[in-house]
Amino acid sequence: MKTFRKKAVRYCLAVFIIASLNFIIPRAMPGDPVVNLLGEDFSVSQDAIEELKAELGLDKPLPVQYLNYWRDILRFDLGYSYHYYMNVLELIISKMKWTLLLVAPAIILGAVIGAFLGSLSGWYKNTFKNRLSTSLFLAVYSTPPYFLSLIFLYLFSFKLDLFPLKGFYATGGLMDIMHHLFLPALVLTLFIASRNYMIMRASVLQEKGRLYVEYARAKGLLGRAVLFRHIFKNASLPVITLVALDFGFILSGALFVEIIFSMNGMGTLIYDALMSRDYPVLQGAFLIITLMVITANSIADLLYSILDPRVRLK
Amino acid sequence: MRLKPFFNRRGIIKEKISLNKFGLILFSFFTLTAVFALHLAPYDPWERFEPYASPNRYHLLGTNDIGNDILSELIHGSRVSLLVGLGTASIATLLGLIIGLVSGYFKGIVDELLMGITDIFLMIPRIPLIIILAAFLRPSFWIIMLVLGLIWWTTTARVVRSKTLQIREMSFVTSSRSLGFKNSYIIVSDIIPHLFQVLSTKFMLTTASAMISEASLSFLGLGDPSMKSWGMMINFAFQRGGFINEMWWWYAAPGICITMCVLSIVSLSFSFEREEQKVIAGM
Repeated sequence: MKTFRKKAVRYCLAVFIIASLNFIIPRAMPGDPVVNLLGEDFSVSQDAIEELKAELGLDKPLPVQYLNYWRDILRFDLGYSYHYYMNVLELIISKMKWTLLLVAPAIILGAVIGAFLGSLSGWYKNTFKNRLSTSLFLAVYSTPPYFLSLIFLYLFSFKLDLFPLKGFYATGGLMDIMHHLFLPALVLTLFIASRNYMIMRASVLQEKGRLYVEYARAKGLLGRAVLFRHIFKNASLPVITLVALDFGFILSGALFVEIIFSMNGMGTLIYDALMSRDYPVLQGAFLIITLMVITANSIADLLYSILDPRVRLK
Repeated sequence: MRLKPFFNRRGIIKEKISLNKFGLILFSFFTLTAVFALHLAPYDPWERFEPYASPNRYHLLGTNDIGNDILSELIHGSRVSLLVGLGTASIATLLGLIIGLVSGYFKGIVDELLMGITDIFLMIPRIPLIIILAAFLRPSFWIIMLVLGLIWWTTTARVVRSKTLQIREMSFVTSSRSLGFKNSYIIVSDIIPHLFQVLSTKFMLTTASAMISEASLSFLGLGDPSMKSWGMMINFAFQRGGFINEMWWWYAAPGICITMCVLSIVSLSFSFEREEQKVIAGM
């Protein structure tokens, strides 16, 4: 419990530091802070700028600005996008739903497929089949996710016309959404599975040499039974931590997949915000993504302490 | 290919390293291309010909929307991409080495503090942070390299720390200490040589992931517009009609180059690890 408390302190500190970073960046960067805080997409008169400056509190000293910044965050006020004429938080939540719809199945499937195939490959190390699958996953691992999406989009949607070219839905039915979701989710699943595959494979290779494996064999258990009854449990522990740590990476991967498939989620939101230099949206998105990553990490920590008795006892 | 077993100063044989042949050949190919780019490229990458040409005798990979020869761009792009990767990895490995060494060697409160910072840095989603910074900075090549280097050191620091913790308890370190050598001397002559394996693996994996990140940033249009990297080429192809017009050679060529180059580096890094350590975590 003590280690968990220490970790909780670290998580809180991380939130604090990242939020502060979010405060500092637009104010420390070159250029006019009004522009940095509102985005470059709109032009207003000098008077209006002065007015906005007062409204944003930029004429106050920095410590006061900082306190106000925290007050706004605690009120869930992430600012206003002058590009969309919308509250940033509402905007992000409306897009995040779709991104999660894409990411959640991919994470689960990717973890299951990666862990399963990875453990098989670690167990039967030198067979042809496993070498092949290792090379394939390594190749996927080395491909930037957006390039993989481009290839899939070109092959399956453009050439073979099996899947729609863009978006989350055309008519809105469940089947329609699934049809649209299949290809991007497949790319993301492959991408996540490749990372888990490598970790699981290494983990099984490491566990294979332990004494309890020897004992299970001596008891008379056959190959796969040893693997799935005894090794799998222990070997999958690092995967849990890494899936959590990877969460930020996976989310950013999903952003690129979305951009290629022109899906109207967080990725496209960030891309559009970049193109129009809509800074409040960019900052809000960064803050929300960070919060999600930290939440994922703390959940993984909890899960770990429940699953691993060695950690539980401490 | 087998390298000679190498000895440390005390004459103890360390491990034999057999380099991954596939990775070695491919990586040398890309490095040589980058070094001799000026001689290999048929044209200047900024020279303009007839735009949107399909691959033909004069332009093996065709030309892009403003008539630049794509093959020449590709060859010159290897320089930018490799340089960003290696530069980032150098900064990150150096930082990770220093932080990991100090926290592993001195332990106690220093360790708590440094590892706390590392944990926090580890949780910051890196790509979104770079996107934010790059959006404000309109980055040059060097800034991208610096920013990537400054956030990519975390996993190296962790690995170096745990390795240092192991080594500092070994008897040759104890004997050095009891002979009265200074900490700085022990670190340089006893500990750092033993970190070679860990560091070289981490260096290569950082290079690989930095190259992917650079390509991703450039794809978002956040790269250095005066340097045509592979990612930038894909971005142009996607933005300016290469995809819609089915000019697949325009974006497939740089994409395959990135993938192959990263793949070669990752497989090369495997040579430095023992089989059961092949965890490419936190890349």
